[in-house]
Amino acid sequence: MESRIRARRRREILAAYLLLAPAALLVFGVLAFPFGWEVWVSLTDSFVQRTSTAFIGLANYAELLRDPSFWRAAANTLGYLVISTTLKLAAGVGIALLLARPFPGRPIVFIAVFLPWAYPGGLAYVGWYWFLIPPLHSAFSTFFSDIRWALDTALGYGTWAFISLILFNIWRGGSFVGIFLLAALNGIPEDLFDYAALEVKSAWRKFWLVTVPLLRPFLALAAFLSVTSAVADLGNVWMQSGQRDVYPIVWTQAFHLAIIGGEWGQAAAESLILLPALVVILLICFRLFEPLEEDPT
Amino acid sequence: MRTGRGGDRLVHGLLLLLLAVYSIFPIYMVTIESLKTVDEDVFGNPFYVAHPNFDWYAGLFDKEEWISSGGVTRHPVPFLVWTGNTLIVFSATLVVILTASLAAAYALARLRLPGWRWWRRGLLATFLIPQTLLFLPFYHFVYRLGLDDSMGALVLVYPMLAIPFCVWLLSAYFQKLSSDIEDSAYIEGANRFTAFMRIILPMSRPVIIAAGLFALGVISSDFILAGTFLPNTWHQTIAVGLATMDVSLEDLTVVSGVSLGGLPVLVISALLASTYVRGLTAAMIEGA
Repeated sequence: MESRIRARRRREILAAYLLLAPAALLVFGVLAFPFGWEVWVSLTDSFVQRTSTAFIGLANYAELLRDPSFWRAAANTLGYLVISTTLKLAAGVGIALLLARPFPGRPIVFIAVFLPWAYPGGLAYVGWYWFLIPPLHSAFSTFFSDIRWALDTALGYGTWAFISLILFNIWRGGSFVGIFLLAALNGIPEDLFDYAALEVKSAWRKFWLVTVPLLRPFLALAAFLSVTSAVADLGNVWMQSGQRDVYPIVWTQAFHLAIIGGEWGQAAAESLILLPALVVILLICFRLFEPLEEDPT
Repeated sequence: MRTGRGGDRLVHGLLLLLLAVYSIFPIYMVTIESLKTVDEDVFGNPFYVAHPNFDWYAGLFDKEEWISSGGVTRHPVPFLVWTGNTLIVFSATLVVILTASLAAAYALARLRLPGWRWWRRGLLATFLIPQTLLFLPFYHFVYRLGLDDSMGALVLVYPMLAIPFCVWLLSAYFQKLSSDIEDSAYIEGANRFTAFMRIILPMSRPVIIAAGLFALGVISSDFILAGTFLPNTWHQTIAVGLATMDVSLEDLTVVSGVSLGGLPVLVISALLASTYVRGLTAAMIEGA
């Protein structure tokens, strides 16, 4: 009996590995070569026009850490991620709370809110480029051109591109977070809110003492997804517009270093250098949202 | 709550109106821009279109390989070809993503693969790898496989953008289903596979739709990979194709392309948005 159960379990585990294999291959298998390449290149003095490359250890990383322009980019990155994530979460919480209450016409507003995220990003980038940082004047773009030149003159070329990108990111990401948190609010039993609300009177305190703690795991998951998508948005947009920027963030600086400068080794090092920090963020997020996956006991 | 109920509702209503306008406004602007003539675009009111016309849309469907007009030769806009390509890539990718994610989620959540939690964490951790420069080695990778300038490259590479979260979502849901659900099927003599297909799959519909929509959202925001793998105009997807075009005062064709490409999204959103929310709720909180 004992051995039959064990044999059955062994077969089950084998089946489980087989079922996991396609997903694992499509993710780890597909990423292994590019990621490995990037790590390797970051340890060499690879330059686009040089045929031979030499292993130089962590020299690229060390050089970055000595470079003041890297630190400026790192500060911008921190600013970009903190500002855009905070605003996205704030917008998302607002959207979710607004939509959670029943009212006439809710389905229509709900679909409207769904659109910014659902609208294909690939197309939205094209729209973003031609509308928010218009290179030409038309009735519509005059307004934005004026903003653009005013800001760029005051703070340096590329300022408006950077700000408009944050706006764009918030428009898209806020919608995603809002819908996500709405799904959470729908699932949290209303009693929980009601009981807690008995204890606190002011709406503001209720928000911080009841709503936020109840939503915490979902906020963590949303924050994680929003940080990664903020990075992706940026890469996409820069790819398209090839902006020269006064507010470079680490990854766009790396992009320029590689594509315009040809310094593949340094560029690879720069795009990887923040990985440890990101891993720490991920671990914090895991701690916060893994309770969601506990068994219902 | 007892006092000022009417005022409360008014504020709520106004905020909602504001929210709806804010959400739709950019899409609205693209749409009306695409309906404007050159004159109206430059001199008209930016916020509405007085004389809508569909000329730019017609420009999307030119048939010739090269178009010469007024001594200028310009690129054609094979919008229909791009649409076809996009449909092929997206549906193939979606099938791959959902099949692989369902299988993996089942293995992790129902079969309790040893170390399942770490597999799931590891998958999510891949989201952290910055995509900035990955397209360089990716091109290499795809080229070695003989998939450059082929849509197969995207079907191979896109899944990694969505699988980690889809697996998380589906397995979180599967974990919340009690084992009784399948047990009754086993008593009837069904094996695991039949029990999965007949019982678990149908009841997971909202969660699968949520995962599918998430995947669609992610792959339709990609730009870098599609642009890198598909240099040939005739093999491109809508987003990349449009991005290679130029806007000028005399030519707003690209704007109409953006607007037209977004149209199916309106339909899909209207049909599936509420299921998406239901699926997320089921996966994150409720279970069955």
